[in-house]
This record gives sequence, C-alpha cells and structure tokens, in this order.
Amino acid sequence: MPVGALASIGHRLSGVVLATGVPFGIYLLDRSLRSPQAYRWVLGLCDDIAFRIAAIVFVWALSHHLLAGTRHLLSDVDIGSQLPAARRSAWIANIGGVAIALLAAGAWL
Amino acid sequence: MHFSIFRYNPEHDDKPYMQDFRIDLESSDLMLLDVILRIKNVQDDSLTIRRSCREGICGSDAININGRNGLACVTNVRKLREPVELRPLPSFPVVRDLVVDMSRFWKQYHSIRPYLVNDEPPPEKERLQSPAERERLDGSYECIMCGCCTSQCPSSWWNPDTFVGPAGLLQAYRFISDSRDRATGERLQDLNRDPYRLFRCRTIMNCTEVCPMGLSPSRAIERIRLRMLDVEGHGGGLARHRVPTVR
Amino acid sequence: MAVITLTGLRAWLVQRATAVYMLAFIVLFLARFVIAPPRSYDEWHGLMSGAGMIAATVLFFAALLTHAWVGLRDVVLDYVHVVALRAVLLPLLALGLVALGTWIVRIFWTIGG
Repeated sequence: MPVGALASIGHRLSGVVLATGVPFGIYLLDRSLRSPQAYRWVLGLCDDIAFRIAAIVFVWALSHHLLAGTRHLLSDVDIGSQLPAARRSAWIANIGGVAIALLAAGAWL
Repeated sequence: MHFSIFRYNPEHDDKPYMQDFRIDLESSDLMLLDVILRIKNVQDDSLTIRRSCREGICGSDAININGRNGLACVTNVRKLREPVELRPLPSFPVVRDLVVDMSRFWKQYHSIRPYLVNDEPPPEKERLQSPAERERLDGSYECIMCGCCTSQCPSSWWNPDTFVGPAGLLQAYRFISDSRDRATGERLQDLNRDPYRLFRCRTIMNCTEVCPMGLSPSRAIERIRLRMLDVEGHGGGLARHRVPTVR
Repeated sequence: MAVITLTGLRAWLVQRATAVYMLAFIVLFLARFVIAPPRSYDEWHGLMSGAGMIAATVLFFAALLTHAWVGLRDVVLDYVHVVALRAVLLPLLALGLVALGTWIVRIFWTIGG
C-alpha cells in the first residue's frame, strides 16, 4: 500500500475512533463539572488500566487525525501537494501519530 | 523468469485462476510487454492482452504488475520482483485474461464534456493562445487515458458510477484551464451538483502514485476546488514527477 | 436543517473551517493545561465557567459535531450502498449528533448559571 493510502485510511479510522469517543468525552466533561466528588471520580478513572489503554488509543487517533488533517489543509493550498513531498508528509503523519501514542503509553503504563 | 498470470475466459472457465509461466529472457526482451507477447507466441496463444503502440503512448496495455498498475510496454522486465504477478486492472470488469471492460471509465470521461465548448464565431484562422495560456495545459493534456489511476482509486472502487474518477477529473481540469473554452462556470457547477462527481475524492493520491506519465490527478482535483472558490492564481499548469520504475 | 443538506463544495469548506478552528482550540487548550494545570475542582470549574471559555468551548463542540457529520456521512456514502440502510443510518447519525449538541448546551447552560 502506498504510504499516502496508509495515511488516508488511518485518517478515516482515527476519525471514526474519535467520533466514538465524543459521547464518553462529553459524559466525563459533564461529570467533572458537577461537584467536587464527581470531579474526583473522573480523576480516579485514570487509575483504571482499561481506561488508560482506551486513552492511549484515543491519543493515537487524535494525533494521527490532526497530523493527517493538517497535511490535507496544506496540500489544498499547494504546500506539499507534489508526490515526493506528499510521501514525506504521509510518513510524518503515520509515524508521528504512533510516536505520540507511544510517548503517552510510556507515561501512563 | 517466473510469471504468475491471471487467466479467465468466461466462455469456459467457471472462475479466474493464476497460471504459472517460466521463460528464459532473451536479449531482445527489454520491456514486460516483450515477454508477455513471447509467452503468447511460444507457450500459450490463448493468453489475451490488449496492446497497440507498445511505446507508452496509446495507453492500451495498462495492467496490474506486482500489485501496482502500470504499462507493460514501458516497464523494465529485469527490474521486476519474481514471481511477477500480472492481473487485469483492479475493479474493472474482466473481459478475458488481462483485458478489461473500460466502458464505465469512458462513460465518466464523456460526462465531463472532454472537448472545447465555444459558441463564438470562429476566427479566420485558429483560436490562438499565448504561450502562457498554453502552459496552463501542461500536466493535464499529456494523459493517455490508460485507466491506471481510476482503477487504483478507492473512491472509484466504492462509487464507480457516480464518482467521475481521477482520469476524468484531470481532463475536466484540462478544459477548465483552457483559455479558449467558454463553459468554465458550467463545468465547475456540474462537478459540484452532488456529493459524488468530484467530492468523493479524499486525496488518497493513489492516482498520482501510479500514473505512468508522472501526472498529478490529485493536484488537479485540489485545483478545481480552489477554482470553485474563485481563488486566484490556481489555474496554472501542473508539474510532472519522475515515474518510479522498480516494482 | 442546513447542516444536513451540506454537500459538495460547501461540505468540503465547512470541513476545513471547522478543522482550523478545532486545531487552534485544541492547541491553546492543551497549552493552558501544560502551563497552568487546574489543581482542584474549584480551579477546573472556574476555568470552564468564564464567559469567553464557555463561548469558545460551545463553538468547539458545534464545530466538532458538524465536522463529525460531514466525515461520518462520507464514510456511509462510501461503504453503505443499500438505500434503505442509508435511509436509516443517516437520520440516526444526525439525531445522535443533535442529542450530543443539546447535552453540551445543557452542561454550559447550567455552569453559566
């Protein structure tokens, strides 16, 4: 698979992951703002290993989606739209997303 | 050299299969097409492939070579990884062996009105262009309509009847950019009339990856969108890139 | 229901505009968290209940839900070709996004007093 195609399907996959995460994010935001007890409950979730793994997947999805999205925004206005540059930026998005997720994993696991 | 070639004759095969061929290269075997034709002449004359000029201009011998679309006639056979897997263009209906039915591809091409639209009375001689106006056609007029790009475009796989596809859109850009054409507005409107014709493109860039002429349909599509927004300075010619030869 | 009829160039443009706003919001929000992370419920609640913050956050979620609509609708248009299934999925998706939007408005309505 060409590296650009990988960046593209990753963009779609990460978008679906992010969209799935939105209701949970709104729920946590809602709880965290209700009362000091609820706020502490939300913070307490971070001790849960399953929650941390989900958060790391979310970090990958967010970083890949932002990097690949920025790549498209720039390409639209002719920055990096030529094949060699587009290949380089696709590598950056693919590796960058995974690298940031690995950093998060290193910090949280 | 070892080849694994897609075979299918709808008249007596229930389903397609891959057939192995082994042939010693001769000094006259330069391009992949030379070897395919020798296999056909020497080993199995039922092997079917479409070809015409055998020098990369007619666009008829586009096939899938080791997973990547390209023209058999300009592919250096000695640089291919073995076994060399040859298949018909993916996502196009197979007529027989390596020959595909291009009618849907042509239908999309015709839908963008691939000709100059100009009702003004013709001048005494031809309709002239300045060198700068002519330059704007660079990077799009060279297309040989081989179908390599559209066949390998995921957006065309999912919506082949409604998405024009990279080849058709590159030609749309060619006529949108032409100073002699008077239908630019209509052309842009037509491509924006539904969420399919142009806007299925997700800039995956497989088209640009596989184009045997080094053209950038993906860039043409981005430029058409900018033209729709009336962004100045984005009607120029498109740069070409070197075509990777190793597969 | 202008959002639902977002097609072609308009959908594409909205996708870009919302993306740029969200990118700016996320970068600034993360920067605020790195420079001065809220250390207690009161600090967190105080941060999120300023008028400017409420406006920016509500706008962020409006952008997010619109962006998600265009993006997920594209996924459906690409992979779902059974018309009846599409006719069920797309309104369901729209309904879900509207519900999330209402939820957000309620959260900040309460917090804004």
